[in-house]
Amino acid sequence: MFYAQLAVNGLVQGLVVGLGALALTLVFGIARFPNAATGDTMTFGAYAALTVHKASGSLALGSIAAIGGAAVLALLAYLTVFKRLAGRSVVSLLVASIGIGFMIRAGLGVAFGHQQQVFNVPLSRPIRVAGLAINPLDLQLAAVAAVALAAVFAILYLTPIGRQMRAVADNRDLARVSGIRPERVMTAMWLITGGVSAVGGMMLGIKTIVSPEVGWEMLLPVFAATILGGIGSPVGAVVAGLVLGVAQEVSTPFVGFTYKIALSFVVLLAVLLVRPRGLFGRIEGVR
Amino acid sequence: MKTTRREFLGSIAAGAALVAAPSIVRAQGADVIRIGALCPVTGVGGPYGSGMQKMIVAAAEAVNAAGGASGRKIEIVSEDTQTNPQAAVLAAKKLIEVNKVQAVLGTWSSGVSLAVIPLTNDAGIPLMHCSGAPALSVPPANAKGLGFRFQATNDRFGRAFAEICEKEGFKRPATMAFNNASGIGNTEGFTKAWKAKGGEVVESVVYEPNQASYRSELMKVLAANPDVIVTGSYIADTTIILREWFQTGQPVKWVIPGWAANPQLIEALGAEVTEGIISVDSVSNEGAEAFKAYDAAYQKAMSQAGTNNVYAAMTWDMMTVLALAIEAAGTADMAAVVAKLREVGNPDGKQVSTFAEGKEALKAGKINYEGASSVLDFDQHGDVTPDFGAYFIEGGKLNRRYVVQI
Amino acid sequence: MDAYLAAIAIIALIYMLLSLGLTLQYGLTGLINFGHVGFFAIGAYTSALLSLQGLPLALTIPAAAVTAGLAAWPIGLISLRLRDDYFAIVTLGFSETVRLVITSEKWLTNGVQGIPGIPRLFETISVGIGAQLAVMGVILAVTLVAIYAMRRIVASPFGRVIEAIRDNEEALQALGKDPAGFKIQVLILGSALAGIAGAFYAHYITYIVPDQFIPLVTFYVWMAIIIGGVGRVSGAIVGTGLLMLFLEGSRFLRDIVPGVSEVEMASLRIGVVGLLLVLFTIYRPQGLMGDFTKR
Repeated sequence: MFYAQLAVNGLVQGLVVGLGALALTLVFGIARFPNAATGDTMTFGAYAALTVHKASGSLALGSIAAIGGAAVLALLAYLTVFKRLAGRSVVSLLVASIGIGFMIRAGLGVAFGHQQQVFNVPLSRPIRVAGLAINPLDLQLAAVAAVALAAVFAILYLTPIGRQMRAVADNRDLARVSGIRPERVMTAMWLITGGVSAVGGMMLGIKTIVSPEVGWEMLLPVFAATILGGIGSPVGAVVAGLVLGVAQEVSTPFVGFTYKIALSFVVLLAVLLVRPRGLFGRIEGVR
Repeated sequence: MKTTRREFLGSIAAGAALVAAPSIVRAQGADVIRIGALCPVTGVGGPYGSGMQKMIVAAAEAVNAAGGASGRKIEIVSEDTQTNPQAAVLAAKKLIEVNKVQAVLGTWSSGVSLAVIPLTNDAGIPLMHCSGAPALSVPPANAKGLGFRFQATNDRFGRAFAEICEKEGFKRPATMAFNNASGIGNTEGFTKAWKAKGGEVVESVVYEPNQASYRSELMKVLAANPDVIVTGSYIADTTIILREWFQTGQPVKWVIPGWAANPQLIEALGAEVTEGIISVDSVSNEGAEAFKAYDAAYQKAMSQAGTNNVYAAMTWDMMTVLALAIEAAGTADMAAVVAKLREVGNPDGKQVSTFAEGKEALKAGKINYEGASSVLDFDQHGDVTPDFGAYFIEGGKLNRRYVVQI
Repeated sequence: MDAYLAAIAIIALIYMLLSLGLTLQYGLTGLINFGHVGFFAIGAYTSALLSLQGLPLALTIPAAAVTAGLAAWPIGLISLRLRDDYFAIVTLGFSETVRLVITSEKWLTNGVQGIPGIPRLFETISVGIGAQLAVMGVILAVTLVAIYAMRRIVASPFGRVIEAIRDNEEALQALGKDPAGFKIQVLILGSALAGIAGAFYAHYITYIVPDQFIPLVTFYVWMAIIIGGVGRVSGAIVGTGLLMLFLEGSRFLRDIVPGVSEVEMASLRIGVVGLLLVLFTIYRPQGLMGDFTKR
């Protein structure tokens, strides 16, 4: 029972990580580089939601603003920087994405300062389900995440552009010869990535606090989840995020509260050694 | 954009010369005393640093408005420690070597103060800080007696926590500490004092910063059924912990240091969650005239009440008491000034609350500056021993019920 | 002013040792090490702890190089079979784990309280500019030796092999050379340099605490070699110089540009780092001192 409660505690945290990992894995699979600006895009989403929420009092409006704003931001990053670097080495893109992340954080720091801010959402007592304490706010957040995930997976698996994106992720050359226009795929991918990051960032902000560094600090678990899930695998990323979130909490009675942070690294290392393609990864043509 | 490497490097060198120039051009005037304000404007100390720095400037303006100290104007040179020892060391070097400051005021985290104090010792100038680490009282850090602490040590905070828990009749305390020197210092100080009283601590947890949730940590603490949880925490983590605690519905009391349980926390969480929390802080000397002067300056600079930032009250006092010592010494020679610090701060003189008042009174005889942050009496280590207030949060307001002396 | 310049020079030299290590690993061999600060931390703690046990610094500083190098060995064995970008993430995770270990293992490292009172180099010389210059001289000498050694490495058969690893690993394998062995050697050498840098850092600042060893340090070093020019020893030198000029220069910038608060300045500083990283990767990937013939 104790462990079950710990597992429940880990689930919402896992969803935040999973959303970040979904954004990361889409870029990794389609544009073929680890986008280190993912965390800061999440932070941007949190601030956008917070600002609109404060002004309008509506979380729904806040999330629309966050998704829209972060989607545009991600697309801008692509158009101004990543597009120009197409065909360069992974490192060039990685370093550029670190630079973009720094710039986003700097912008947020100048605009909002470094003081913590919080979402003013009503607090509620937990409901008891089969002996487990479950928080209504967590349920709402989980519902939001579920809707966002459903929307992304609907786009990926039910629309033509989604099929094209998956085709590019599977085999870029084959996709090109079959007449897929990479430009459109990239645009769609970056918009989705930004939106997904924003939802993750907003959830993080509602659960915790908002400050310019919150997203950057999520980056390591997000990376770990992406690799654990198998690069380029959207389902894998979300599942891996949940697994990591739960594993981190359930392991604490054994490893303590400090080393649980290192758990994502240990999991990452173990996965890479045993199964370098991750849980859901396919054999990749990249090298 | 065709620039050769040579041209590019040349333009950078020119830029560097331009940047370095003003500090060389501005030579030090004989009638000016430069003081360094080295505050944690960014980093973990960010929520306090701007206010601290502005209060050093404001106190210096008050000194200058009263005609300066021993006939000299005070000029403040500000630097940011970034709450980071390496950045602080370079900033302190710059203040000491380039700006030739006569004192460094306002370092905040213990790590930063421990890194900076060897430099101020070498330069033979005082360092006035608000750090809690006991190591700063004694050699090697304070071998020359140039370190002055305006904040209670973590140990003293812990003792105050224990006093309050005893007074409130708690029997089963648990502790939660942020994993850094100050967080652990508080809860260990508490545990030591509590055990000395024959009590027992039912559970203690040390947690890592920057997490999305502290629910598992809370579960562990709450599972021991404590009647009170004593924390060594900061505002960001306290916000998250209290929110998650409230959602568990398990009744328990909280004793939290004042830098975390402050009006900002109440604003973030609302009156219902924070009801009944006991916030423990060194008593900003709120009844004192000095506090009124500080509060007015703080409101003007930060558009917030002065109670929001105890450290800003400390930096206000740093500048004021230093200026009084300069006035009393009649010279800017720091050895002479430091020798006068206790004389103008400690009892046995006429009580004064502002620089202007003290300057007048010094003509007649000895003075005792009663500060905005505490009564400001330095012991042999250069530490102040403030009284501690137990503030109960009631209806979204911090109400001081009583004061404990340790 | 002199002592301030000497302080900057000392910190710059320490960063230069870090940059040289990374130049060897990334610039010459193509290993994306995002965990440089972890080896820096290991060096700093090794030398600090040993010297507090009374060992002379002449022994503890080489010991720092050895432990940092040894720490790199298993990391190399485990992860060099991985793709470049995986390797980057694993090393980043490694440095964060090092930070967590020094935070948690109080019996050894005094945890978050940090280690105060670390002996300085030349403690017997009275403090002041003399001691500063002596410290600077020692670090400069070590840096020059490192630069000389690196130039020799570049010109040696070993250097040609590691550059070949960077440029075309498959071809090298086809020639019957084992890239993994060379990579591990390079990783160990570069990490040992970072360890020496860490030791000098500990004995200069005299106080170390886990918070000083955050990934930002790694990224500063990356910025230095990318701006200076990847794969060139001269690039590491120029890049580090510019990095220090930028980090310290921004203090003076505020003195002449009014109306910018420290909070904004801190944000702007990190923003400019970001902008430079982006601009250099787009417009001048070879860096200032870069080699125009390669890549």
